[in-house]
Amino acid sequence: MTQIAAPSALKPELPGTDPSEPRPEPATLQTVPGRPDRGGRERSPAQGQAGRTRRWLRRPGLLLSALFLLLVLTAAFAPGVLAPGDPYTGDSSQALQPPGTAHWFGTDHLGRDLYTRVVHGTSLSLRTALIAVVIALISGGIFGVAAGFLGGWIDQAIMRVVDVLLAIPSLLLSLALISALGFGSTNVAIAVALGSVATFARIARSQSLRVCQSTFVEASRSLGSRWHTTLRRHVLPNAAGPILALAVLEFGMAILAVSALSFLGYGAPRPAPEWGSLVSEGRNYMAAAGWLTTLPGLVIAATVLSINRLAHALGGERRRF
Amino acid sequence: MTLAPPPHSRTPQRTFSGSRLRALGAGIGLSTLLALTACGGAGAQSPAADGGGDPVSGGTLRFAVGSDAGCIDPQQVGSNDSIYSTRQLVDSLTDQDPETGEIVPWLAQEWEINDDATEFTFTLQEGVTFSDGTPVDSEAVAANFDRALDLGARAALIGGYLQGYEGTEIVDERTFTVTFAEPSAQFLQATSTHTLGILHPDTVAASDDARCESVIGSGPFVLESYTPNDSISLSAREGYDWGSSLWENQSEPYLDGIEFTVVPESGVRAGSLQSDQVEVIGNIAPQDEAQLQAAEAQLLARTNPGIAFGLRLNHDLEVFADEEVREAISLAINREEIVSTVYTADTPAATSILSSTTPDHADLSEHLGHDPQRAEQLIAEAGYERTDDGGWERDGEPLEFEILWFNNAATNAPTLELIQQQLAAVGIGVSLQEGQVAEWQTHLSEGTFETNWGNITRADPDILRTTYHTDLANSYRLEPSALDDLLLEQAAATDPQERAELVAQAQEHLVTEYLEIPVVDLTTVLAVRAEVHGVRFDSGSRVHLNDVWIEDAEQ
Repeated sequence: MTQIAAPSALKPELPGTDPSEPRPEPATLQTVPGRPDRGGRERSPAQGQAGRTRRWLRRPGLLLSALFLLLVLTAAFAPGVLAPGDPYTGDSSQALQPPGTAHWFGTDHLGRDLYTRVVHGTSLSLRTALIAVVIALISGGIFGVAAGFLGGWIDQAIMRVVDVLLAIPSLLLSLALISALGFGSTNVAIAVALGSVATFARIARSQSLRVCQSTFVEASRSLGSRWHTTLRRHVLPNAAGPILALAVLEFGMAILAVSALSFLGYGAPRPAPEWGSLVSEGRNYMAAAGWLTTLPGLVIAATVLSINRLAHALGGERRRF
Repeated sequence: MTLAPPPHSRTPQRTFSGSRLRALGAGIGLSTLLALTACGGAGAQSPAADGGGDPVSGGTLRFAVGSDAGCIDPQQVGSNDSIYSTRQLVDSLTDQDPETGEIVPWLAQEWEINDDATEFTFTLQEGVTFSDGTPVDSEAVAANFDRALDLGARAALIGGYLQGYEGTEIVDERTFTVTFAEPSAQFLQATSTHTLGILHPDTVAASDDARCESVIGSGPFVLESYTPNDSISLSAREGYDWGSSLWENQSEPYLDGIEFTVVPESGVRAGSLQSDQVEVIGNIAPQDEAQLQAAEAQLLARTNPGIAFGLRLNHDLEVFADEEVREAISLAINREEIVSTVYTADTPAATSILSSTTPDHADLSEHLGHDPQRAEQLIAEAGYERTDDGGWERDGEPLEFEILWFNNAATNAPTLELIQQQLAAVGIGVSLQEGQVAEWQTHLSEGTFETNWGNITRADPDILRTTYHTDLANSYRLEPSALDDLLLEQAAATDPQERAELVAQAQEHLVTEYLEIPVVDLTTVLAVRAEVHGVRFDSGSRVHLNDVWIEDAEQ
């Protein structure tokens, strides 16, 4: 499935995350491969406001993504602004109306406005995905940094557990966990988080390892600074960049995973308009009312793609520091 | 087909000649049988009666269903989608006329019941064999009944059918007496169900799980292969010659075989029918009806007998202790809106706790109206006060409850969301909790639900006793009342008139006190391609496929 295949395809572009490089040589990491053409443009002297605008315009995909995400964020925090209607009450005489001016996304089988439901479902879906990423980021980060910073048998133990987690497809892992935990948004978040803890642990380890072996950390140690000072002042700030870029990327994946689980009926109970449940509800009307699955599906796809685009931009800019 | 069946089976017979009615039991008039030509509710005419020429043999019927219960043992499955196939594998002792509710001979050619309905003596037809050649005799039937009560949780229906079962006494090879500890008038109807279909003694002796994978019966079709959640393949039984007295074709089926496939999406099922990938589909969704009619498919509908779909309240809950509140819930529900929005055109709103096709159903629709103003008034009379957010509250307790539901029919979720909207309109808060089908019985027996949404298909009003009598499972935690006596009396009543009277009183008790809130009568709808003839509903709104033939089938 997409959320399993995509990260492995994208991750190697981030520095030091190639899983086939468990203990990379410091030398290879100091010259980070970048994209020469864009890198050259990026380094040109800043030309103030006009230059920045031109840079955005030169990347219409990024601009579009950012605008769309702005809409999504508005929908998440103030759904009433975009869709003032009631997502839970419908007019059954207006059931299964196709998209039009009265109902932008059409209406569902009970006559509820689909656009209103998608907008009001945003906060549910995004919140669940956000909780999932935060849990995965914090726990994966702690394990990864501990493994990279402490090394030795702790590193071995943690990374073998991570290997085991990586061996299981993340959606399968989430499904197993949610069957044990029971249904509901929070449980979906925990299940999705467990699926991506391993990815975070791996990249956090490789980043802290890279920083730990660099000369300035060696210098700081030889000056006699305590271990927690080294960790706080040198390792964490320098390892954070790629981890945060991954977090943005994983956020997109988490939205997909959360939608997949709510599509399967593990999410918030009906009639909560979670994106995945909206797609699932429309499944029985595919022949008669295709918009019920297509439009929420397109919104999910657009959101995930926009987030991926943004994650790429963030990762790319980080590289040039 | 290689064997030539007796000549009468080759020509369609509009009426039943005397010779075909082998030794019918007492009390069955010809009028009963003539009524057969007009089958079921709206749109349910038997296609064979519409003409279409003489039946031809051959061809495979392809039948798409929505789900698979993971089991093909007719004694264990309760899901309609699985019964379509398992019903074809077994014969029953009796059959029930879907129009009149009359019990007619099938494997049993005659029977006697003692005065207090505790002893049932059956005499079997001669020459009936299971598909491996073993004769269907008294011992085989006794083995079925003796084993049935040991079946696990999957066989939820059988407990009610054989309740109070003491044993089966074998008189001779073809005669046996089934004895009950207490009056059990419903047992005769129970013998007509697929649940008490007669299985091979070896199948009976196998473990519950082994029986789910493969069964041997004496029915018109034999199981070829079964792949869970995918397909079930049946072939015609050669030499079959003991069909129910209600069928037009009592010998070998016209079809060579039947192929059941599981297609979960209703839109895909409808598309498969239109593009001639299947001949019959089950679980028609209302949004596909127009499309199917345009494709000139026959839509056959019949309301399932038994307890109507409704909200079943757990009476342990404080909130349901007030009759005013229960009546308000019923008044807040707009059954007409639900039926027209969510269900197919042939589905009727509930008119009693029993659905309209159940024998002895009484029309109590005047108690099941829609009146939101009156509902709000009743809630206020029960001592509730309006809260700021439009809900109701009494002594700090909000007026709200949870509905536990199971996704065993595509209409459940939309119906409940609509009920939730309708109840919210008068200020009653409802949350929906989806459960797993496999946990249904546990929830019922342990009372771990506030309200649940469901129905029970059974073509006998005794289902009221097995569901609501307080000495039995009493899943809904009712207090003992006069209802118990009514339910016991109808179980012992052997006079049909007297029984109908008692059943009507019991329905009135349940409906006017709003002990359960009936909403809609489950209606089975099948779509059948125009070239297929003879698909006919039985009394439980499931199908017998022995009469089915396909025009221009390959010989």
